[in-house]
Amino acid sequence: MSTEQLSRSVRGARASVEARRPAGRPGRRRASLRTRRAWAFYLFSGPWILGFLTLTVFPLGYALWLSFTNSDGLSPRTEFVGLANYREVFSDPDTMTSLARTGVFTAVTVPLSLVAGLLLAVLVNQPIRARGLFRTLLYLPAVVPPVGAALTFKMIFDRDSGSANGVLDLLGVDGVSWLVDPYAHWVLIMLTLWAVGNVMIISLAGLQDIPREVLDAARMDGANAWQTFTRITVPLLSPVLFFQVITGVIAALQSFAPLLISLNSTPAGVTAVPQDNYLYMIHVFAQTFANGRYGYASALLWVLFAIIIVITLLIFRLSKGAVFYSFEPEKAKKTPRTIGSAR
Amino acid sequence: MTLSRRAGVYMILVGVLVLMLSPFLWLGITSFKAPSELRAVPIHWWPHEPSLDNFRQALTRIDYLSYARNSLVIAGLYSVLITLSSAWAGFGFARLNAPGKPVVFGVLLSTMMMPQVITLIPTYLLFSKAGLVNTYMPWVLWGLAGAPYLIFLFRQFFANMPKELEEAAIVDGCGQVRIFWRIFLPQSWPVIATSMIMSFTWAWGDYLAPALLLDDDRTTLAVKLANGYATPNGTPLNNLVAAGAVMYVVPVLVLFLIMQRGFVSGVATSGMK
Repeated sequence: MSTEQLSRSVRGARASVEARRPAGRPGRRRASLRTRRAWAFYLFSGPWILGFLTLTVFPLGYALWLSFTNSDGLSPRTEFVGLANYREVFSDPDTMTSLARTGVFTAVTVPLSLVAGLLLAVLVNQPIRARGLFRTLLYLPAVVPPVGAALTFKMIFDRDSGSANGVLDLLGVDGVSWLVDPYAHWVLIMLTLWAVGNVMIISLAGLQDIPREVLDAARMDGANAWQTFTRITVPLLSPVLFFQVITGVIAALQSFAPLLISLNSTPAGVTAVPQDNYLYMIHVFAQTFANGRYGYASALLWVLFAIIIVITLLIFRLSKGAVFYSFEPEKAKKTPRTIGSAR
Repeated sequence: MTLSRRAGVYMILVGVLVLMLSPFLWLGITSFKAPSELRAVPIHWWPHEPSLDNFRQALTRIDYLSYARNSLVIAGLYSVLITLSSAWAGFGFARLNAPGKPVVFGVLLSTMMMPQVITLIPTYLLFSKAGLVNTYMPWVLWGLAGAPYLIFLFRQFFANMPKELEEAAIVDGCGQVRIFWRIFLPQSWPVIATSMIMSFTWAWGDYLAPALLLDDDRTTLAVKLANGYATPNGTPLNNLVAAGAVMYVVPVLVLFLIMQRGFVSGVATSGMK
């Protein structure tokens, strides 16, 4: 325990002793103060609880109910169809292929951006000149709104006026139609990786929280850079990496980015999405907005929701023992240094 | 660090940087090209007759400014409300105790992983039943409810403030609402800034919610940009799309460059919990 932590915990203990001291008040008034505080807690958390119930739980419940009906949102004769929608989910070839594609998309983009982001974080954490500038500029693409990013990539990969085909032309290779099969999924992957700055920034904050003494000690014991990285840095960083795997997987599984880079970017225009980019969420949009099958689409949503929960729990389970929580909770709470800092 | 290693680091970083920034460059170049140049073979790497004509046309071909105003109103409304309501809830989680609080906090933490896109479709169906489609009410409601992630941000900040602050106020007979409003909220400017920036850019960039909830004339720039510039038979007018996208993206980039700290501390804290 460092002296700083020690003094902090002493201060904390003193504060809590002071708080517990009756301060000369009779016991009954203290109890009423406590009840008032309990009410106050629900006064303050109330709006969020209410919002969570009405804007998240209720819609999900509504979707669950819809998933057992043949609702199309228009005709008044909505009938209860039991498990028919769920049976269809598992026999619909479009569902299965879109699910498989989404799985591949997740399995490719999450590890790639994790590794690339971590490496960039390590590089911009080196004591080099202008690293603040590198951090800022590498993070810049992650700030671009999704529609802006998608439109930019449509420009680059345009068949006639795009720079991608321009480069191919310089190399003496014939240009291709990037935005349709079989190339469209490469554009999608590149678009996803363009936002790698997010992983970099979060990893960088994690790297900066690793105590210098630990790294110095490893070096004194004769560890080389690679050993220090794999044996010290990565394990100490594992909670941060773990968190990013979870959020990355959840985001990838519900990605609808193909809609934005397809030729007709409207929710009803999902039919224009190339086959290779027909991810699960695109399938859901197609069923909802192109076919108006609210009941079936709700069943699809619930299946995806269940898949996300199972995968999240699975990652939690598998990472037990691999994720190493060394920091005092206090330590992780402090605001990390910014990318422009001079350290 | 040895000289060769340092050189290696620079080379990788510069290489990656060129790759990462080239899309911006191409977007900018395209926005200055005349339509005829887009069909040039071989392609023009640089606009031969750069002009601002695309920007002029991008502003008039669709009612750009009114869509920008829609975006601004939605993002402004949403970010102010969600920041206040998240600070409000964050104060409760940080400074008050009640039976059931650990459970509520556990739910809060787990909803941070809630798949947002999944809940949006049934929410859209419900809003259309309630007649809230084509109004800005959904953003007001979402704003009032607060966001778990911003609540967490405020909680972390408020939890680290000294206890003496509120004890003195309680002795003076201050209620919790006034303690929050007069003492805690004014202290939390850094988090307020972070929260405003994050929620504003999120709403400014969001495509799905306005695409589902708003009609063509009330929708946001994000939606209109994606489908607004095309010939009657649906061919996109790339030079106009590029100019429109530049005007849409640059304000966000400028905001980021000015307020880096706000952007980054929010993103980084989210990954550090």
